[in-house]
Amino acid sequence: MPISDIPILTMLRTRMQWHQERQRVLAENVANADTPNYRARDLAAPDFGHALRTASFNLSRTDAGHFAGNGAADSQFAEDSHHRYEVRPRGNAVSHEDEMLKLAGNQMDYDAVTSLYTHSLALIKTAFGKS
Amino acid sequence: MDFIKSIAIAASGMRAQAGRMRIISENIANADSTASAAGADPYRRRIVTFGSELDRELGARLVTLGHIEPDTSAFKTKHEPGNPAADKNGEVKYPNVNPLIEMTDLRDAQRSYEANVNVITSTRRMLQRTLDILKT
Repeated sequence: MPISDIPILTMLRTRMQWHQERQRVLAENVANADTPNYRARDLAAPDFGHALRTASFNLSRTDAGHFAGNGAADSQFAEDSHHRYEVRPRGNAVSHEDEMLKLAGNQMDYDAVTSLYTHSLALIKTAFGKS
Repeated sequence: MDFIKSIAIAASGMRAQAGRMRIISENIANADSTASAAGADPYRRRIVTFGSELDRELGARLVTLGHIEPDTSAFKTKHEPGNPAADKNGEVKYPNVNPLIEMTDLRDAQRSYEANVNVITSTRRMLQRTLDILKT
């Protein structure tokens, strides 16, 4: 089993991907802050229950020639546009303040996840007997 | 890599705001540009438009500077019979540029530009944190 398949690392990696994707969506919002008819978007928060249900299921290989299936593939990201802010006469609904707030939050959460990843790797190193 | 995409998107926003800044400075610089011939039209204020464009390579919606449209509002006129640009009634047409509006637009463009810079700074920090994992 490769190190990257250890459940905790897989979970942290998914979370990091989510933050990366969210950063992209937020960058899009900020860049389009003056585009007419543009509505701010955000990523739906990851559903932990769903991840828990699907995490342990993987396609079993009955023959050595089969491809290894990857249970939960893409489609984990859903765009969420429920939060509507004030709409300007141009039809644009991007608020710089909200976007900056989300950006800072996203960055801090990402920092937390990378720290956890580092610490998890340190745990594995301890198990190897190398400090 | 998604972080590179984020930076590319923010860069497109900065490019668009810089283009807007260029047009605004053109308007301010020409705020008193009268016509060279008698009775002809002076400088006409120009307005930028923004558009959202899907970049298929990045899979993201980038900002592009759309058409630069002329402002169709009326020119200001002043009674200056001695001015070479005056028509036969002594009226001189001045550009339809309002410095107050241009300054407000300028500030708006500046704030949007700064917001995009913030996005790049934040993305760079996240990228740096990813690379820090390797150092352990």
